Amino acid sequence: MSASHRLDALLEAGVEFVAGVPCSYLKKFFAGCAQLPPSAFLPAVREDHAVAACAGAWLGGRRTLAAMQNSGLGYCLEVLTSLHLMYRVPLPMIVSDRGAPADYEEHRILGQRTRQLLDLFGIPWREARPGQHEAEARWLVEASERERTAAVLLVGKEVDV
Amino acid sequence: MTRAEAVALALSLLADEDVVVAADGAISREAYRALDRPRTFYMLGSMGQVASIALGLAMTRPERVIALDGDGNLLMGFGGLAMVGGIKPANLYHLVLDNGCYATTGGQPALSQKVDLASAAVGSGYAWGRRCFSGDRARDAMESWLAAKGPALLDLEVTGEDPEPAPRVPMTPEEMATRTRAALASA
Repeated sequence: MSASHRLDALLEAGVEFVAGVPCSYLKKFFAGCAQLPPSAFLPAVREDHAVAACAGAWLGGRRTLAAMQNSGLGYCLEVLTSLHLMYRVPLPMIVSDRGAPADYEEHRILGQRTRQLLDLFGIPWREARPGQHEAEARWLVEASERERTAAVLLVGKEVDV
Repeated sequence: MTRAEAVALALSLLADEDVVVAADGAISREAYRALDRPRTFYMLGSMGQVASIALGLAMTRPERVIALDGDGNLLMGFGGLAMVGGIKPANLYHLVLDNGCYATTGGQPALSQKVDLASAAVGSGYAWGRRCFSGDRARDAMESWLAAKGPALLDLEVTGEDPEPAPRVPMTPEEMATRTRAALASA
């Protein structure tokens, strides 16, 4: 058991390597990651490097996961399109769902277009619901592996991670 | 020494089990032409991510992982140096084929002419970092690099373009990724 129910569910669903950049919405999740063995967690310096490292770990035989704030999707776009989507490398992603009208200004412009952005590139996504950790983890891993693509679980402020 | 000659020399010094990440652009094409091997992953896009992909491999594989990088490529993803230096995978070997410019796009000068990439690597936490700006000593420099404790970065100056540009790698991206993953899984 780690500090994060969400992380435990993802490990149970088969995830073996996590790379990411923290978001305050994902505090518990990253606390759980910090307890993983050193070869299973990469605290990345930016989100594009996190997803690129996940592609390397996938080539190395691991099932991977990237975790980040939705602002990081902007940094990731080139890597997701010219690495994961083009080479068909599976990538489950936990992405915080910032940008609600009550959220801070810096989160709004990209945050409020997160779903459109994912739809534009054909990246499947779901919104996390309370108490659905196991089902959501299975969906995320299966959706990314079935089509060998990136898939996103959007995690809002009120959803326990 | 041209970039293509340096790529071929580096590949000739590697062990069969070594895993290679070849940078997008000319470096991948020249690596393919010099010595195609399933354990080489050829990048097509994602400029700036050579070290990050190599790091993901080095964290999950016991073999040596060789990053064949370019100077402009490394500068674009400079944070990758910090990740490698911070994590310190002893099996990661980083070779920068440094021509001081963006050769693929017309030879525009790159800031690598003014930035010491080997010192930056050591400052980031690499166990070993050297620069070699003499083609005559390239082989010795590469042998020292591969014998050093990792992570190790060699910044190797290369000059000029090969008269025969290497053709594109004749595989689909999906084939390249699947092939490299399968080669590692079968070990």
